[in-house]
Amino acid sequence: MYQTLISLLVLGLLWGGVFLLLAGGLNLIYGVMKVVNLAHGDFIVLAGLMAFSLYEIGFNPLVSLPIVALALFALGGFTQFGLLEHIKGSGPTAELRTLLATFGFSYVVSNISFLIWGSQFQSIPFLQGAVVIGGIALPEALLVCSFVAFALSAAVHLWLTRTKHGKSVRAVAQSSLGAETCGVDVRKVRFLAFSVGSAMAGAAGALLICLIPFQATSGGEMTVQAFTLIALGGLGSYVGAFLAAELLGIAEVMTQYFLGANGAAGIIYVVFVAVLIFRPSGLLGKAGRV
Amino acid sequence: MLQAIIRRICTIAILGCLSPALAQAEAPIKIGLAISETGPSSPPSLFELRGYELAIQEINQAGGILHRPLELVKYDDQGNPSTAAQLYQKLLTSDRVDLMLSPYSADLTAAVAPIVNRAGRVMLTVTSASDSYDGRYSYIVQGITPAARIMLPLLDLAKSKGYKTLSILSLNNRLGAEASKALTAEAEAAGMKVLFHETYSPITTDFSALALKAGEPKPDMILGTTYLADSQGILRALKAQNVTAKMIGFSIGPIEPEFYKGLGGVAEDIFVPTSYFPTLKTNGNEEFVKNFRAKYDLDPTYHAAVAYAAVKTYAAAIERVGKIDQDAINKALHDIELDTVVGHFKVNANGAQIGYSAYLLQWQKGKQVLVWPAAEADADPILPHPGWQ
Repeated sequence: MYQTLISLLVLGLLWGGVFLLLAGGLNLIYGVMKVVNLAHGDFIVLAGLMAFSLYEIGFNPLVSLPIVALALFALGGFTQFGLLEHIKGSGPTAELRTLLATFGFSYVVSNISFLIWGSQFQSIPFLQGAVVIGGIALPEALLVCSFVAFALSAAVHLWLTRTKHGKSVRAVAQSSLGAETCGVDVRKVRFLAFSVGSAMAGAAGALLICLIPFQATSGGEMTVQAFTLIALGGLGSYVGAFLAAELLGIAEVMTQYFLGANGAAGIIYVVFVAVLIFRPSGLLGKAGRV
Repeated sequence: MLQAIIRRICTIAILGCLSPALAQAEAPIKIGLAISETGPSSPPSLFELRGYELAIQEINQAGGILHRPLELVKYDDQGNPSTAAQLYQKLLTSDRVDLMLSPYSADLTAAVAPIVNRAGRVMLTVTSASDSYDGRYSYIVQGITPAARIMLPLLDLAKSKGYKTLSILSLNNRLGAEASKALTAEAEAAGMKVLFHETYSPITTDFSALALKAGEPKPDMILGTTYLADSQGILRALKAQNVTAKMIGFSIGPIEPEFYKGLGGVAEDIFVPTSYFPTLKTNGNEEFVKNFRAKYDLDPTYHAAVAYAAVKTYAAAIERVGKIDQDAINKALHDIELDTVVGHFKVNANGAQIGYSAYLLQWQKGKQVLVWPAAEADADPILPHPGWQ
């Protein structure tokens, strides 16, 4: 039993990494731009299916990862310049308008995926083994997903705190008007943030399709999961998202083992409702954010 | 001059009298259905559609039914039950089709069955869940192996090997519930012991803990009533946690070629029951497979075969009745016994299929191979499962 508990805990932590990978890009985009990108899940699916096609012509998913991330960087830039930049207004009005715009765009992306790949579930047979340490099996796909999620989170954190571009991004996040007054090119920063967030979705898609089969319409569920996670952590908070991801990973695995798999599917929402009641700003969010 | 005018008037009058009769003689028999041409279920739905279309093409090339060609009236329900219900209403009232075929999936069939039945139209279905054939709908007739019987070849093979214990994982939906309930009952009736049985939600993606639990009692068999994505998720988790059993088998999911494509070698030696396979020596199957490959450049799946057999069964029932009369066709479908590409078509008084049986396939060296029943098998089953490489 002791060994089983350790196994479950490790699995939970690793699945936390998968959740973090799922939500990282969305968190960055919301943190900087206050845009909830409802096409985020569809970006992940598009990226995953691109990685699938690259795998079909002989590309290892780890090689496809930067290619797909770059493609999604471009798609993010296009979305920002072609769509979101044209939406006027500020505050809650702008948030609602961008929400509706990305909601509509999610249909465009998922239908493009559908036209190209059809609606069959696709997956990549990669990293299906496990590393066994002390009798505890660590699935390779989960290990790599978690590693990439943590590495990306750390890289984004360093970028935001240690580089001039990152500081510009944070300045825009705090006050767009203030940053513009100080000479920061706000349009460029928004472009950069949305593109980097989309590239993170691309990296997530290229890896997740090795773990979870995708079909063109899988994006909606992923967006809901990712949004729930970042809201739980405190919208835009990176450490909060990390904590939320680990909490959900452990909660899901433990619930599945002790209470049954049907309960596990809903645990993310039970935890979310509990946090909304007892800590409405999320685990590490600022008051009034959620 | 006067004679010419009279002759012309007579000609027009005669043609006028004859043309409705001629039109009636050649008016097509309309067969209506909604199917998921788009949406999550479109891959198997499209196979069904191909089966329907090939059968209709063959019948029309042979002169139609009652010397009338068949015409397919179809709509895309996008896999949505309420859309399907509206479309069946349209087929009945606006299109006034003569015969009905079912949409893809048990949930959509359950949505349209009351509408079709209330209108007094016969509908030959190809969905396996049983609740449309429990006596409540007298015009709904089943043309596929019922869900309750689909997993039984796995138990038959297990019995022959002396396996005694099993763990069952089942998707929490109509088909999963019914198939796993029947599997449990049949296993217990055969003296086997179900050590673990758990259902999971359709949105489950992480099966790690479930795989650990299923393997803990060390069962002889791990069986799942699944679709594609969940069967792949479970198998990945079993492999990653090094959980194994002598026999591992899942419903539906491993039928799809994408099952092997997504899992590679992990899919080796996995069993999947089916109601049809191209190598079966059933009536007309060789020709059906040849024609299907020629028309679509694909091997027919069981979805295509049951759909093809449904149209052929309709044709036989109508030829027997000699007219388009819903009650008479319904009675003929209940009475008829017919050898189709799927097997021996026979239904009970409620319209539930009792003739068609199930077969067992196994993934061997990247290919599906028919391994059970022994009399029909193309190869021996590989048992026990050799463990994860």
